[in-house]
Amino acid sequence: MKLLECPVNGVRPLSEFTYGGEYRDMPDPDTCSDKEWAAYVHYRAGAPGLKKEWWYHGPSGTWFIAERNTLTDKVSRTYIAGQEESK
Amino acid sequence: MQDAVLMSPVAFAHALRKPVSGEVNGMETALSFAAADVEATRNETLSICDVSNLNRFGVKGPQSAAWLQAAGVTLPEGTNSWTPQDNGSLVMRLGNSEFLVEDQPENSLCQTLNDTAVETAGVHKVIRNDAAFIVSGKLTSALFSEVCEIDLEGGALEDNRLVMTVIAGVSATMLKQSLNNQPVYRIWCDGTFGPYLWKTLLGIIEEQGGGPVGFNFYYEIN
Repeated sequence: MKLLECPVNGVRPLSEFTYGGEYRDMPDPDTCSDKEWAAYVHYRAGAPGLKKEWWYHGPSGTWFIAERNTLTDKVSRTYIAGQEESK
Repeated sequence: MQDAVLMSPVAFAHALRKPVSGEVNGMETALSFAAADVEATRNETLSICDVSNLNRFGVKGPQSAAWLQAAGVTLPEGTNSWTPQDNGSLVMRLGNSEFLVEDQPENSLCQTLNDTAVETAGVHKVIRNDAAFIVSGKLTSALFSEVCEIDLEGGALEDNRLVMTVIAGVSATMLKQSLNNQPVYRIWCDGTFGPYLWKTLLGIIEEQGGGPVGFNFYYEIN
């Protein structure tokens, strides 16, 4: 059984979670160029490596960030968005 | 126009067993499924009871803890924990800043909170439509080891902790409390999943030699 640690509820089986896509910093839509905005909307970095990802713990409704190496499938840490300093 | 009487979200799953029904808190509820001695025997082995009719109040938001305290509610301190009030109501802290309050049949804390207007920023009422069950008996571990995603044998529910996990594929909140001097497990899930979860748990419970018990087994109403 694969396990993932929810920052609020602790270690749970992966079946309790849903992947929510890669976490990416959004450029300011008021100041960025059309090219930067189009790149943000349409491009994804598919190369394997350490990624920040959104994950969702269904039973508690908790969205959080997981830092996962998509080559080795190893999760290095998880935290609530904006609270990474505490982890 | 007649006043509407709500039905328990699992009422249709009960119907084939022809329980003795009655109205509790404005909701049609199965009061008993069999004679008292039969229900007592089931309860000793493994039983499930529908308590969806108990009044509830949900609230969340960064200021919800302060708002509840101002209303005189004693809060559990830690995340994912619960505490009883002096009048018997349960207050559950779901994660960090969401709370679920559930009354006993004889008290009205939830009614009072539901009737209170929320005008504070950072406080949001949450409408609850839970299906709620009480599971008890000496074979509870056999049941939960079959359907629960996490191991409850390791003290996950000790010290007034609660867990939000998946039971038979359904997201549910769960805790262990003492009711009528008996350890029981409490389960809450979205009401629309109630009939499925009731049937699934009851199927296993009956395989183990237990069965359903009515609301009157735990609470003397009628």
